[in-house]
Amino acid sequence: MLANLSLRIRVFLFFAALALGTLGALALGLSLGYRRLASPETLPAFIQGGVVTGFVTLGLVAWVWFLFDTNVAKPIDILSGALRARAHSDVTTEMDVAIARYLGDLAPAATAAAHRLAETRSALAESVMRETQRLSDEKSRLETLLSDVPVGVLLCSGDHTLAFYNTQAVDLMAAGTSPGLDRKLFDYLRDGPVRHAHDRLIATGDPDAATDLLCTTLVGAKVLQARMRLTPGGQNSAPGYVLTLRDVTADLSAHARRDALLAEVFDRVRRPSANLATLMEVIPQGQAGPDRMDTALRQEVAALAHAVTELSTRHDESRQDGWPLAQTRASDLADGLKARLEGQNVPLTTHAADILLRANGFEIISLLDGIALHIRDSLTAQDLSLTIEEEDSGAMIRLCWQGPPVSIAALDRWLAEPLDASVPEIPCRTVLATHATEIWPEPINGRQSLCLPIRQARRATAKPKPVIRTVVYDFDLLSRARTDKVADTRLENLTYVVFDSETTGLLPQQGDEIVQIAAVRIVNGRRVEGEVFDTLVNPNRSIPLSSTEVHGITEAMVADAPPVDEVLKRFHKFAEGAVLIAHNAPFDMQFLRRREAELGLSFDHPVLDTVLLSAVVYGQHEVHSLDALTHRLGITIPEADRHTAIGDTVATADAFLKLMPMLQGRDLATFGDVLTEVRKHGRLLKDLN
Amino acid sequence: MAVIDRKHRVLVVEDEDNIALALDFLMTREGYDHARVADGALALPRIRDMHPDLVLLDVMLPGASGYEICQGVRLDPSLADVKILMMTARGSAIEKRKGLAIGADGFITKPFELKELRAEVRRLLDVGSERGA
Repeated sequence: MLANLSLRIRVFLFFAALALGTLGALALGLSLGYRRLASPETLPAFIQGGVVTGFVTLGLVAWVWFLFDTNVAKPIDILSGALRARAHSDVTTEMDVAIARYLGDLAPAATAAAHRLAETRSALAESVMRETQRLSDEKSRLETLLSDVPVGVLLCSGDHTLAFYNTQAVDLMAAGTSPGLDRKLFDYLRDGPVRHAHDRLIATGDPDAATDLLCTTLVGAKVLQARMRLTPGGQNSAPGYVLTLRDVTADLSAHARRDALLAEVFDRVRRPSANLATLMEVIPQGQAGPDRMDTALRQEVAALAHAVTELSTRHDESRQDGWPLAQTRASDLADGLKARLEGQNVPLTTHAADILLRANGFEIISLLDGIALHIRDSLTAQDLSLTIEEEDSGAMIRLCWQGPPVSIAALDRWLAEPLDASVPEIPCRTVLATHATEIWPEPINGRQSLCLPIRQARRATAKPKPVIRTVVYDFDLLSRARTDKVADTRLENLTYVVFDSETTGLLPQQGDEIVQIAAVRIVNGRRVEGEVFDTLVNPNRSIPLSSTEVHGITEAMVADAPPVDEVLKRFHKFAEGAVLIAHNAPFDMQFLRRREAELGLSFDHPVLDTVLLSAVVYGQHEVHSLDALTHRLGITIPEADRHTAIGDTVATADAFLKLMPMLQGRDLATFGDVLTEVRKHGRLLKDLN
Repeated sequence: MAVIDRKHRVLVVEDEDNIALALDFLMTREGYDHARVADGALALPRIRDMHPDLVLLDVMLPGASGYEICQGVRLDPSLADVKILMMTARGSAIEKRKGLAIGADGFITKPFELKELRAEVRRLLDVGSERGA
C-alpha cells in the first residue's frame, strides 16, 4: 500500500514516523526515570525537560525533512516527471539542471539520456520520412509504368480476388464497366482456363514458373491471350498471381481470314489447272482439238487467270488490314530525317501535314537518309526538301531537290545497299516490301523529286481523346531503392568523385555562392590523374574580403569565369554515376542542391563524408578537420595549395584512399556497410544519403 | 496519208519465251511489224535502232528493269513519239502509278486477256498515228 504513495509523501511519512518514534522513546525514557526516582516533586522538572527536548527533536526532524524534501524528493519527482514526459511525448525543451544540484550526476545524466532520446527520435523520424518518400516515389514510378504498358496487367489473390489492375485490363476484360477491387476475377473472365492454369502452376512447385493460357471474356466473348505467374507470399492459402492480358481476337480473325484466303487460292487454282492438264493430255501433240475441247480449254484458262487476278487483289487488300505497322506522326518522321541529315551536314527543309502514317518510322528515315546522301553526293543536288502530304487514303512522301534527275538504275543500286551497315543482309528495298510500296523519280514544279507513297494514313485531328491511363490497387508494392545497387557494391568497385568548393561565405541561404570548385575521380581504387575538374566560378555577386583572405580568390579573378549554373551542369556531368565525397559534405552539398530545380538537375548521388569516415575509424573524440585528418594519415598539403579547391580535393581524395583499407579492415566491405556505420555517427554531421 | 499506210512497228521486250510467243502470234495477226528483245540491257539500243511506234515492256527483266528502260526512252527527246505499254505480273495500284509517273503510256497486268491487250495496243497506236498525222 505504501508503495503506491508518491515519493514525497513516503518521505514525509518516514520523517513523521521518525519524529513520533523519537517522541515516544523520549516519553518512555522520562517516565521510566520518574518512576525510578518515585518522588512526585520532580514531576514538573521531568515534564519541562520532556517538552523542551520533544519540541527541539520535532523541530530538528521537521527541518531535516524539509531539506530532504526540497533537495532530494522534489527534484527526483520533477526529474522523473520530465523524463517520463520525454519518453511518452515529443517534449524537446532543455531540462532544468539547477533544481537537482544536490543529486550529484543524476541531473546531467538524465539530461544526456533525454538528449540522446530526442536525437534518436528525430533521426528515426527522418529516416522514416525518407523511406516513406522513397517508397511513394517508387510507387508512383511503378504506377506510371504499369498504366502505360500496352498489355492489361492484373493481380489476384489466391482465391481469384482482384487486388490490382490497370486501365488496359479494364478495357480488355470488362468492355467499359469498371471492376471492383475485391470482386472476383470470374465476374469478367470465364473461370475454367484461369483455374486450370493456376492449379497447374501450383502443381509445378516452381515459384518462377509462368504459363500461357487463352481466356475468354464473359462480355463480348473476346479471346485474350494471357500469361500467369505466381506471386510470392501466402503461406497458408493458395498463392496469388499476376495475369497479363493481350487481345488476340483481331490477330486470330486476321489469321483465320488469311487461312481462308489461302484455302480458297488452292481451291480455285487447283481445279482449273487440273482440268487444263487433263484437257491438254487428251489433245494429241501438234494437233488442234475439236471445237468443244478448244472452248473448254479457253474457259478453264480464263477461269484460272481470273481467279489469280482476283485473289491477288484480295490478298493486297488484306495486307492493308492487319498491317503490323505502328502509327507514325508525319512531323516526327520529317524531324527525324532532318536531324539525321543535319548530323551529316545536309540541310533539309521539311513540310509535313498533320497526319499519322502507318509506317515503320525508323525504316523510312533510314531509307530516305541513305538516298538523300546519294542524291547530294552523286547528283551534286542542292536545296533538299521533304514534304509529307495526305493523298487518297494514304500519304505521299516526296524528297525534292534542285539539280539533275536521278536514274532508275542508280536508284536501284542504292536500294540494293544495306539499310544498316551492321546488318548487310537486309537491303533498303526491304523497306519498300514491308510497306508494300514503291519509290520513283518524278519532276515537280521545276524541281526533281522522289515519290514514296504510304498506303495508309489518317488525319491526326481525328484522333480520339487520349484515354487517361491509371492503375488501381490496394497494396503497397515494395521495391528496391536506387541506392541498393550501390549499397551492395564493394567499396573498391565504386567510382567516386571527390570534390571541394570555395565560396563567398558560409551561408548559402543568405546568398553566398561558389567561387571555385574542383573535383577528381577515383576509379578502381586509384585517383585518375587525367580526370580533374577545376574551375573558378563567377558568383555574380561580391566576394567579401574575409573570404578572399581564406581562399585568395578575388573578384577580378572570377570576372571572366563561367557562371554558377553552367559550372554546376558541367560538374553534374563529371560526377555522373559516381559516389560524391567531400570533407564536411553537407556544406558543399547545400551549394549544389539548392540550384537543382532551377537547373533541372538532381544531385542525388550517394554521398560519403570524410569527416564521418574519420569518426568511424578514429572515434568521435578525435578532431576531424581536414588538417588533423591528413596529418594523422601522413598526407601533406603543400602550403600553396591549402584552401584552394583543388589542393583540398586532392588531400581529401588521398585521405579517402587511405581510409578505405582501414574501413575494410573493420569488416565494412560494401558501401551499404559503411553507410550503416556512418549513420551511427550521424550526430556529428548530417548524413546526406 | 503515208503514215497510215505503213505498218505500225512494235517492239516486244519480254524475257519469258511463252508470253513472247503469244505476243508474237498476236502482233502478226494484227498486222504489225514486230520484233522481240529478251534482255533488258539490249532494249534501249534496239529501241533507238528500230524507233518503234510502241514498246510492249515487261517490268521484271534481266539486265535492266522495265522502269529503267522506260525512263531511258523518256529522257531521249528523239524517242518522244515512242509509246510504251508496261506489263507486269504483280500489278498493284502503286506499281501502276510508278510506271505512269516514269512515262509509260499504259500499264497492263498479267495474266491479261488478249482482248484487253489488243484494245490497249490499238488505243495507243491510234493516238500515236492521229498525232503523227
